[in-house]
Amino acid sequence: MTLDFKEEKVNIYLESNNALERVSELVQTRLVDCGWRDQVRLACRKAITENGNKIPTVDELVTKITPKARSMVPDPVKRELLHELEMVLVNVDKASYNKT
Amino acid sequence: MHTDGCPHLDHFKSNDGLKTFRIIHAIFVVCSTIEARKTKVDNNYCHVCKRIGPLLHACMQCVFFGCHKHIREHTRNLKHNFAIDLNYGQVHCTLCDDYIYDMEIDRVAMNNKLGAGRCRKRLFNWTSWEVTSEDKDILKYNPKRICITPESTIGLRGLLNLGSTCFMNCIVQALMHTPLLRDYFLSERHKCKGNPGTCLVCEVSKLFQEFYKGARAPLALHELLHLIWTHAKYLAGYEQQDAHEFFMAALNVLHSHCKDEVNPTENKTLLNNHENVKCTCIIDQIFTGGLQSDVVCQNCNGVSTTIDPIWDFSLDLGPVTFGGRPPSSLVDCLERFTRAEDLGLDAKIMCSNCKSYQVSTKQLTMKTLPIVVTFHLKRFEHFNEIEKKISTLITFPEMLDMTPFMSRSRIMDPIPSDNRYSLFAVINHLGSSINAGHYTAYVRQQRDYWYKCDDHVITRANLKEVLDSEGYLLFYHKHILGYE
Repeated sequence: MTLDFKEEKVNIYLESNNALERVSELVQTRLVDCGWRDQVRLACRKAITENGNKIPTVDELVTKITPKARSMVPDPVKRELLHELEMVLVNVDKASYNKT
Repeated sequence: MHTDGCPHLDHFKSNDGLKTFRIIHAIFVVCSTIEARKTKVDNNYCHVCKRIGPLLHACMQCVFFGCHKHIREHTRNLKHNFAIDLNYGQVHCTLCDDYIYDMEIDRVAMNNKLGAGRCRKRLFNWTSWEVTSEDKDILKYNPKRICITPESTIGLRGLLNLGSTCFMNCIVQALMHTPLLRDYFLSERHKCKGNPGTCLVCEVSKLFQEFYKGARAPLALHELLHLIWTHAKYLAGYEQQDAHEFFMAALNVLHSHCKDEVNPTENKTLLNNHENVKCTCIIDQIFTGGLQSDVVCQNCNGVSTTIDPIWDFSLDLGPVTFGGRPPSSLVDCLERFTRAEDLGLDAKIMCSNCKSYQVSTKQLTMKTLPIVVTFHLKRFEHFNEIEKKISTLITFPEMLDMTPFMSRSRIMDPIPSDNRYSLFAVINHLGSSINAGHYTAYVRQQRDYWYKCDDHVITRANLKEVLDSEGYLLFYHKHILGYE
């Protein structure tokens, strides 16, 4: 099995049984709960005011804030996401065993 | 971002309309039907790099999907001006070089979302919140703002001892620091229908306000005590009481007062119809689990299963059998609690299969777990009218996985649920017997700060100190709340 094929299989699985949706909603809830979103919002606000008179476009903001925002994600959230994905992927394998 | 639409889009709308937008939005953003999901799975990747992200967009003028980088290249090179972001459904205009707001687009998007049939957080999180004039007034007349930092001590209040009331104080501290209960009360969800001054839920609601308003002077809980006395007469008096007994009584009274609130007429008919309908009051939502008891007949191996609601787990600490090894950790206790137990010859049980009394085994497992699990370590032993305190060291973890103690059918679930629990309060008993001694509580505040509450004195503690303490009542909160 090539890596691409594996990746595709995983992607299809993630999309088709709603797992991706579930996981991303979970992560989103966590990020809101732990205050990450507020921090990012603050960072954006700061970036906009620091930009002077010209209001930056969303794309500019995205490129500017993304690295910072990524680094601000708390470790427990990352660990939980990893755990969730592991759980989902273990089930991908199970699902394919059942078929064959 | 333009707040008043964009001339380019107006032009586009007058020529092509918003049908494309509506369809793409319904399939890829809202994605509520099975067909839509299938279409999405088949097409949801960037046409250039074949990946599903980041920030996948769809072109509104031709069939093209692209990630952030490639959609911008596509629209710029081909002069296709509009692209829809497939995560949130925002429209990007190349000529404005930014995302745009448009009333008509918003309306179409909202219609799609509302028609989705089920509410999904991601889509509705971002709908704007209209501040009502009532909310505005509240903010205007209450100009004081409280900022919560890791150092702030908000939520910590000492409680005066009104004469051996430490059993109550420590339970109140634990309840005040139960995250879900706090959220419930601080968002003022309790709408009282009882007589003013008699409702314990209102009293607790008031307490939450006292705890979290930022004042630091210790509180006297005479009103709460009085209410408990009137509703649970056996606790009245000035003697020392058992904290666990008080906790159960408090939950009981709170539960019965909440029940009045949850549609009394509806509730009654429900109760009459089926006995085991789960109550929707906040106490039941947080504290009630289902304990499954399987009685297996040793003759025919027939199993009879009953499920009972349970608020707390009382765990035995004595030796398993005479001369056996007493449990030394919480997990030991739980293993013992869920072990199949031989009921013996003296306690034969009627087997519906064999139609006779047979020797049976009984096993307890958790069918459903509550959000807050409380463990009561039975440190007080009554033996020939003599009270004895068992001071065995029982270790307990900060994070506890309850999966091994679940009923079998749950473990076989294709998508295993996360049953991890984290410790948030510990109540300790100091002294040698149930009728004497003193109770203190350790509570967790904000994520990982621990405090020791000894009546009116609150001191900072650390996790090690908490885990090294003796432990009488242990409170665990579900680490990850599942979806219902």
